[in-house]
Amino acid sequence: MGRKILDLIRAIIFNRWVLAAIVVLLFLMPSLFYAREWCQELDAFTSPLQDSVCTYLIEEKPVTNAVLLNFTQLFILIILASNWNLTGGFTGYIDFGHAVFFGLGGFATALLMGSSRWEDWPALFSDWSFWPAMLGAGIVAAIFALLIGSFTLRLKGPYFSIAMLGTLVATREIVRASSNISGGGLGLSLPVYLNRPMFYYLSLVMLLFVVNFVRWIRSTEFGSSLVAIREDEVGAEMRGINTTLNKITVFCISAFLTGLVGGMWAYMNTFLDADIAFNQNRTIDMVMMTMLGGLGTVAGPVIGSTILYWLRDVLWANFLLFHQIFEGILLIIIVLFVPEGIMGLLDKDSSGTSLNRIVKGWFKKEPEEHPRTS
Amino acid sequence: MTTEMTSNQKDQSPLLEGRGVSKYFGGLAALHNVDFAIYPGEIMGLIGPNGSGKTTLFDCLSRVQQINTGEIHFKGQEISKKKPFQVAHMGLARTFQVFRVYRKLTVLENMLLSRQWRNESIFRQLRPSHPDTDQRARELLEFLTLDHLTYEQAGNLSGGQQRLLEIGMALMPDPELILLDEAASGVNPVLINTIKDRILHLSNEQGKTFLLIEHNMEFIGDLCSRVFVLNFGEKLAEGTPEDVMTNEDVIEAYFGS
Repeated sequence: MGRKILDLIRAIIFNRWVLAAIVVLLFLMPSLFYAREWCQELDAFTSPLQDSVCTYLIEEKPVTNAVLLNFTQLFILIILASNWNLTGGFTGYIDFGHAVFFGLGGFATALLMGSSRWEDWPALFSDWSFWPAMLGAGIVAAIFALLIGSFTLRLKGPYFSIAMLGTLVATREIVRASSNISGGGLGLSLPVYLNRPMFYYLSLVMLLFVVNFVRWIRSTEFGSSLVAIREDEVGAEMRGINTTLNKITVFCISAFLTGLVGGMWAYMNTFLDADIAFNQNRTIDMVMMTMLGGLGTVAGPVIGSTILYWLRDVLWANFLLFHQIFEGILLIIIVLFVPEGIMGLLDKDSSGTSLNRIVKGWFKKEPEEHPRTS
Repeated sequence: MTTEMTSNQKDQSPLLEGRGVSKYFGGLAALHNVDFAIYPGEIMGLIGPNGSGKTTLFDCLSRVQQINTGEIHFKGQEISKKKPFQVAHMGLARTFQVFRVYRKLTVLENMLLSRQWRNESIFRQLRPSHPDTDQRARELLEFLTLDHLTYEQAGNLSGGQQRLLEIGMALMPDPELILLDEAASGVNPVLINTIKDRILHLSNEQGKTFLLIEHNMEFIGDLCSRVFVLNFGEKLAEGTPEDVMTNEDVIEAYFGS
């Protein structure tokens, strides 16, 4: 019985027409915002229909800047969780410092757009317009991932996680300390550009791109090899997969996309300092949202982020003092009772995994630890 | 018959050759000054009591572990400094005593991922598996009587089926030398006969070379032309299965004096 209900839910939410309808509605939503602006500029309503529609739009305000901002933030969280899922879920390298790429992307955008407080900042890397600056942010994050990943990805299991957490904290402190570039405690101000619908559309397009990109990656041999690395890295290596190269590649891809989002977020936020750019809560969000949806699945981060974002709003509104306690309890419930997340419930045969399995893999007996077997 | 074959093979250059291979774990000598040679097309057995260094030797050959001294030559090339995936690209495949299938992937995906990788750019991996690879994987699954499980998750298979899948994954890249680590342990008698048939078929029809670790003496006797005995990391005896099984040193090592 329960199985049947789950199958029905899966059939509904993974129906391509349902998905297409959701995407179309998301694309059309800001039109209500524009329609309201248009109504407000009218001197008089010429028809009863126009009168009723415009009155509704102006008085009820179904889509405001705040609504668009909410959705933009949700989209950003989904993109970040999907990116984290590439290394954490598929490859099985639990990265507790992924926000470092987000922050670097933000700072790169700010500096490239000319917010530096340093007089000697090279003119070549200054006063760029937003689009090349955002691309530059992605590239900066990817190069940093290449440098850091070449070392940290050789570490196994918890050592990698801790090394990445250390990278995040160290980078934050270095950025804060180099105050003539980063502005230190004062932070950096970006050119102000308040256009919520533009950021809404940009994040929506990026969201669609990233989710489809992750789905495509999973369908290639490269994507399968990542799951193979998660399942058995030594075995994958001995069967001819260059595991180090594949790990570093996916880490750089993931960092590049995270850097892009960081750049967009910085421009949207118009202000940046070390604490908000390298906020470790962002990493925890990525991990929790992916775990709730299902590690190592394409749809998991999307579902998990949406539910957690909505739930957080409800908790925030109703239990302001306790909302973090509820989130902590939720995390424990996920680990204990739905280890493979929502996708694990919906799809028993998915190649998704759970944190428990990944952690068990860390402590699996490897040949070098057991010289005397046979 | 077997002795004749062996003497013929002595004229060829060995496919895999080790000279003075030693591996120490702290003060423990897992392998001490071991010499061996495997010739193309033969099935060689590797036996010895528990802890005699058989799996360590396999790990050294497939480059999971560094050897401390000595040289290993495969197809005339020194491989003791190469990485595991590079040795795999050269045509050396192995199975594992402890199952190393990718449990959350389907049986077919397991096979596809064990294809011959070569040193290709990563962009060549950014596409679904090649139809030829897919066809080869399905043929091998049929050959190993696993075709009804093609889309099952590998972790759901029984122990014997996972053994067969591991053998399939080792055969997938069309290697020249296949190292089988206890291919018959934990497998029911019917499947053991299947595995035996498949190994003989591959050896006779396709000229593949095998090195087997095995405790099942009947299995060794039926398949191998030559047997190599390790004890406490040192070579104890080498010869035909009959010679080795009547060798007093070997009997003492296995059953005590």
